[in-house]
Amino acid sequence: MITMTLDQCVHCGLCLSSCPTYQQTGVEMESPRGRLVLLELWTKDSEPHDAVEAQWLDDCLDCRACEAVCPAHVPTGHLVEEWRGHQAGSTPSLRLMRLLTFFLGSSKGLAWFQRFARWSQHPLGRFLVRRWLTWWPDSPARLQRGLPAHINRRLSRHRIASDPPQSHTAFLFVGCVMDTVYADTNQHTADLLRMAGFRVTVDPRQRCCGALHWHNGQPAQAQTWAQENIEAFEASGASVIVVNAAGCLSTLREYPELLRGTPWEARARHFSAAVRDALEVLSDEPLPHLSEQPTPVTIHDACHHVHAQGIFKESRILLQRAGYRIQEMANSTRCCGSAGIYNLTHPEMSQALLRDKIEGIPHGVDIISAANPGCLLHIQQGLVTQGKHVLAEHPIDLVWRAYRTAGYLPSMTTKEGGTARG
Amino acid sequence: MADWISGLEAIVGRPYVLTHPKALKTYAQDGYTLSAGIPRAVVLPGNAEEARRAVQHLHHHGIPVVARGAGTSLSGGAIPTPDAVVMHFSRMRTIHHIDWENRIVQVDPGVVNAEVSRAIEPHGYFYAPDPSSQQACTIGGNFAENSGGPHCLKYGVTVNHIVMADVILANGDLVRVGNLAGDPEGLDWLGALVGSEGTLGIAVQLWLRMTASPKHSRTLAALFDEVSEASRAVSDVISAGIVPAALEMMDHLAVQAVERGAYPVGYPPDLAAVLLIELDGDPLTVEADVNAVMEIMAHHRVRQIREAQSVAERQLWWANRKTAFGAMGLISPNYYVQDGVIPRHLLPDALAFIDDTAHRYDIRIANVFHAGDGNLHPLLLYNGSDSREVERVQEAGLDILAYCVKQGGSITGEHGIGLEKLDAMRFQFSEAELAAHNALKRVFDPDGRLNPGKLLPTPGRCIDYRPF
Repeated sequence: MITMTLDQCVHCGLCLSSCPTYQQTGVEMESPRGRLVLLELWTKDSEPHDAVEAQWLDDCLDCRACEAVCPAHVPTGHLVEEWRGHQAGSTPSLRLMRLLTFFLGSSKGLAWFQRFARWSQHPLGRFLVRRWLTWWPDSPARLQRGLPAHINRRLSRHRIASDPPQSHTAFLFVGCVMDTVYADTNQHTADLLRMAGFRVTVDPRQRCCGALHWHNGQPAQAQTWAQENIEAFEASGASVIVVNAAGCLSTLREYPELLRGTPWEARARHFSAAVRDALEVLSDEPLPHLSEQPTPVTIHDACHHVHAQGIFKESRILLQRAGYRIQEMANSTRCCGSAGIYNLTHPEMSQALLRDKIEGIPHGVDIISAANPGCLLHIQQGLVTQGKHVLAEHPIDLVWRAYRTAGYLPSMTTKEGGTARG
Repeated sequence: MADWISGLEAIVGRPYVLTHPKALKTYAQDGYTLSAGIPRAVVLPGNAEEARRAVQHLHHHGIPVVARGAGTSLSGGAIPTPDAVVMHFSRMRTIHHIDWENRIVQVDPGVVNAEVSRAIEPHGYFYAPDPSSQQACTIGGNFAENSGGPHCLKYGVTVNHIVMADVILANGDLVRVGNLAGDPEGLDWLGALVGSEGTLGIAVQLWLRMTASPKHSRTLAALFDEVSEASRAVSDVISAGIVPAALEMMDHLAVQAVERGAYPVGYPPDLAAVLLIELDGDPLTVEADVNAVMEIMAHHRVRQIREAQSVAERQLWWANRKTAFGAMGLISPNYYVQDGVIPRHLLPDALAFIDDTAHRYDIRIANVFHAGDGNLHPLLLYNGSDSREVERVQEAGLDILAYCVKQGGSITGEHGIGLEKLDAMRFQFSEAELAAHNALKRVFDPDGRLNPGKLLPTPGRCIDYRPF
């Protein structure tokens, strides 16, 4: 049963134009207001439910755009999520979730994930992916095209050396996809934090934030990982948890909700209060101003930044300070369709949203910045498929490169953990 | 499958005819929640020609049509009669042409109001009618309801800003009314159609006037400890001959709701009323007007006057004000908003009457309104599961409307009659006047196929609207 209250919605309809699935389909059932009616019918109606109805509800991207504009703070995305939790086993396939649990659940699994990602980059690997894995659904194979050109050999958690714990220490949350495919971005985050005067610690025991499992009807798995992350942070002596993936950020901040009613709730609250986004932390620090470069950059705002956390200006501040010229794109705050594993479970809707996103990139801009691994993979995949010569990059990487070119970051990796303040 | 459904599918394409019972239930209401009606089907035309053929087809089968934009009507304008088909215009949302030389924008009916201003703002223009729901409501809906908004005090309502429209009549004929010059030839058919709430015709293409953005604009928030002083200040501003771009008021309960909403601005919690006053034009006039307004406010024991210091702050104040209705969800499960108008000098009396009504019926009423127009928006708060409270709220609403008419005002400023104010039409008009309305309706729609049961009270209402 859905426990949260539905009657806060007064049917004003102000959410409609913010909802990507309503924009795409134009039907009321695919709008936040329509979904609330469907949820209410699901709980109250004696009529049987069918797959079509479930699909309308399940098409919700959890992008939170409707929650951000709702005058009455109706948590539509959360309500759909809660509904999904009660449909466990039906959406998405259990096989996919088991696979994800293996790959994302431990260092060993992550290392395999990284290996596969690297192998798939190799011409032979690419050939095999196409040739042999015919049972593999189309969408993951498509995502493969979105992988960055260079994938590191080691997990960032093993690569980044920790500074001895002292005050002003940041616990770097390395994530799962970030830890493997975007290991360099984690390294760059650590470098920039050190440049800003932080000490950095990376606990290799930390786990995936649990977002994919929580949002796809497996909250128990997410809870276990959350507890381990809380323990790792408490043992680290750090004062702040820094995370560079928008999706993880939201989930880590929502740990008190995930662990509500368990003995862990109070510790989760303490943990969640310490979580900060890398963009927030760095934009607050007095990093040096670099002179403007001619290359323009456009920004895609990840849903879990702009809608869930109100993070919008931070990436702009950081990029501008590092000398980038920002050329805003149309609908920068609209979901790109990645949405966790939505691009695997809802390929059609997801690709439609991606087409719109790519169309919005201003002419003559070669870099689109996105601060979330899911968005990066998804957008890059679309760009490659469409034959566009545009790169999707994490703003941290862009900023790091600018400071490195300007001589502020002398070495590629800072194993010694020097605090090279600029 | 019924014949008429497959016929509709042949016109618009199969995915664009909805018949799933749960889908139909999501179309049972709009922004008015005291009624509901489940349509027979929903059709989503992709262009004007599809819409026209669909109307013709339904006319042939004797099935009524109810047009819907974003379903934000506050009077039930888009609530279908149970035997009707809803025509949803969400797929028709293209801005076709911007004619900079003649300052005309040509749009589909499903274009969202705010999108029009967004498209022309960078060039120094805006589309003036700005209903509070402008981030979601559509131009087609604005046409049907003759929508207003805070800035209509100075710039006029929708009818002043649509110069031409292509309209589908009940039998499926397409006619063009108005002209690009914006001056009606012969009888003003366009004027009759704008605000006819979808009962005379359905607009499928519209030509809108652009307005040059003011050179200079200043926004003040005047905080009051007494509602009566605030409303007297409003009367004085108007009688001083000042025409603000907008002059809005929110009372204590409304402020409490918006401050908990999506855009809090930090109004003190103990405030009795706030006036939002915007003055625009050339800098010298604005300067003089601001000084005059400040003086009037001081005369009425204003606690404090704030001025928006940036565009961002001004936008925040307006977002706060414009989401006030939705924010009622934070202080009450449901609300019923009234739309009566009174002569502006009677504002203090009207507010006292509303307060008295709240006590008499034992309900809570918040007030958010276009003070400068005398357009009241009392929000009657209720709990939909308490049927006795629902009855009390409906009776209290009628009392307020009767009061407005008695004072020489009207039952609606901008939300339309819809289903909601059918009964109140009898306060406003005599039998002869209502007969004249009906005669006009018969000219356009002799069989009563367009949005039946709305706007015009029919003797002995036979339509059964039921909540789910």
